[in-house]
Amino acid sequence: MLCKPNRFTWHLLGWALLSATLALVGALLKRWALAPGGLRSVVALLPVLPMVGYFLALTRWVRSLDEMQRLIQFEALLVQFAITALSVMGYGVLAETGAVPNPPVGDLWPGIWLLLFVSWSLGQAIVRRRYR
Amino acid sequence: MTNRLRVLRAERAWSQAELASRLAVSRQTVNAIETGKYDPSLPLAFAIAELFGQPIEAIFGPNGGPRA
Repeated sequence: MLCKPNRFTWHLLGWALLSATLALVGALLKRWALAPGGLRSVVALLPVLPMVGYFLALTRWVRSLDEMQRLIQFEALLVQFAITALSVMGYGVLAETGAVPNPPVGDLWPGIWLLLFVSWSLGQAIVRRRYR
Repeated sequence: MTNRLRVLRAERAWSQAELASRLAVSRQTVNAIETGKYDPSLPLAFAIAELFGQPIEAIFGPNGGPRA
């Protein structure tokens, strides 16, 4: 079972949604309004800024946990790291051989974020079973 | 490591949630300690001993030791 939502959950969700919204706006502006150049690069970078808030909220959340919950999160992050690293590396190698599409990195990051979230949730589910 | 946390808690008629609140940890952590699935750190073990007013060795013991 995952953690119950608390104020940190809403902070994380808020920053992630802000980042996603800015990414969407940036993509629309890139497609319809902005010519290639400096401003387009600035708009493209906008979704990165809320991620700073996201990681700060994540840090505050981890610091609010007790010692066992921190251990669970640490082990869940190991699962997340293993799954994500192997998936991204595997996909990269296959893309180099032409076995799978090789899109620009910018098109891949929403999928990578999804993979990070899913693998973290999976890691928590696995690790929490041990302490239940 | 074995411990008498469940017995001591029952003597005071505290729920796991109440004990967790007094120790500033989650209820899951209290449950994991009681069931022996998690061994608390020394600071937490001392906090538990202080809360119950007993020496730490009266609450925690090595594996295979008597478990009340």
